[in-house]
Amino acid sequence: MAAALIPALAPDQPHLLRLPEGMGSASALEEVHQTLRQSSLQGPVALECGDWLLRVPELRDLEQLLQRHGLKLRRISGHSPGTLVAAAALGLDHGRSRPVNGSGSNATASGSSDPLTVHRGTLRSGDHLQVEGSVLLLGDVNPGARISAGGHVLVWGRLRGMAHAGCSGDRSARIVALQLRPLQLRIADAVARGPEEPPPAGLAEEALLVDGTIRIDPASPGWPLLQ
Amino acid sequence: MTSTSPRIILICSGKGGVGKTTLTANLGIALARLGERTAVLDADFGLRNLDLLLGLENRIVYTAQEVLAGTCRLEQALVKHKLQPNLSLLPAGNPRMLEWLTPEDMKKIVALLAERSDYVLIDCPAGIEDGFKNAAAAAQEAIVITTPEVSAVRDADRVIGLLNVQGIQPVQLVLNRVRPKMVASQEMLSVDDVTDILALPLLGLVVEDEQVIVSTNRGEPLTLQGAPSPAGQAYLNVAQRLRGEDLPIVDPSKERTGLRARLKRILKTRLF
Repeated sequence: MAAALIPALAPDQPHLLRLPEGMGSASALEEVHQTLRQSSLQGPVALECGDWLLRVPELRDLEQLLQRHGLKLRRISGHSPGTLVAAAALGLDHGRSRPVNGSGSNATASGSSDPLTVHRGTLRSGDHLQVEGSVLLLGDVNPGARISAGGHVLVWGRLRGMAHAGCSGDRSARIVALQLRPLQLRIADAVARGPEEPPPAGLAEEALLVDGTIRIDPASPGWPLLQ
Repeated sequence: MTSTSPRIILICSGKGGVGKTTLTANLGIALARLGERTAVLDADFGLRNLDLLLGLENRIVYTAQEVLAGTCRLEQALVKHKLQPNLSLLPAGNPRMLEWLTPEDMKKIVALLAERSDYVLIDCPAGIEDGFKNAAAAAQEAIVITTPEVSAVRDADRVIGLLNVQGIQPVQLVLNRVRPKMVASQEMLSVDDVTDILALPLLGLVVEDEQVIVSTNRGEPLTLQGAPSPAGQAYLNVAQRLRGEDLPIVDPSKERTGLRARLKRILKTRLF
């Protein structure tokens, strides 16, 4: 089962290249190579990675392979946060795609329309994790790093960088962290600098929008996605 | 000799002037003294000075550039250290011709070096642009060096993120130019502050040491000496830990507060 190359519907749209769902022994590069051999399409192409985890070297190789066939890599989408971070590192347009089948059950468990993205690992200076729904980060957000979500931002760790909840205008979005000491907080269109004094030890905190300004409280015990 | 595959280690920091080249030179000498065939590669092509620190500037005939072009063999370009023949330096190319190097060139050079070495140390240029990407292309593991300053730590954090994305593992940390007194009086970031943010295994801790400047100017790395100064000893320890020896890391800012340690030190100074 090789990758599928679906021609664009309109001339100004990119073609769609979809990696196979089942990850066999073949690498993504081999899968794409096989598909391209039977095709003569040219122009921009959007890559749908599904569950594939592609790092910078692999993405770079893919980009070069596509280029040799007259195709230009325009955009990358997928479910694996690692792939999206790598795409961002290469300066490519990227976004999270919705899981196609029931395998993404965690996306609907909250009962809301917001899917939840879980990302493991620390965001380091210069990293930017952006998701459409809510995000749960298992790790720290270091100074200089950014995390933003259309819904809530939940950090199981230390938040010392910048966080933006409710990117697309949701003013009820919250930012929750085990240790909340960000450089800057944003909820919807409100901006606040992080507090200067050291955090109370052992107390998870949350930031929410009250009358247009961002307020920090001890975290409420409820899981915000259920509210 | 050894049957294990050579270790190709990138030495990088992001910020300039925190001690990449000094670490590369001292670590190279230390590993050579421990009997490892070590090659050091200056990947800072624009502002090369690894040869200066090793005192080998006047012995350079050919460079990596000529090796790649095929005008000389690798053996001709490699400069052996006078006192530690286990250590050889592959000089960087002509600083005026920066465009010639690509990640593929780097991989070729490193593969050549790896054939004849136990350790290949790559001295990375400052920054995270093409120079860094070239240097990182061929590396398997990395040592990130930083000083206890906010800007150096921030840049190191960025570099660690880039190394992770490139799939370079393991990444270890060397903390350089620590001033125990300033740490104790909380005027400087402590070891814990730094490891807290960077979350990397600590490979070594080097205290501020004036001898580093002297040795740099002389072109004689500290690790050459029989009884090295504090920083020299720290570099030796880094080499030993890199080879898998389990040496405890002593935090000098905490050590001096211990009453027993202070007593011991007084006793030592009285006795000798």
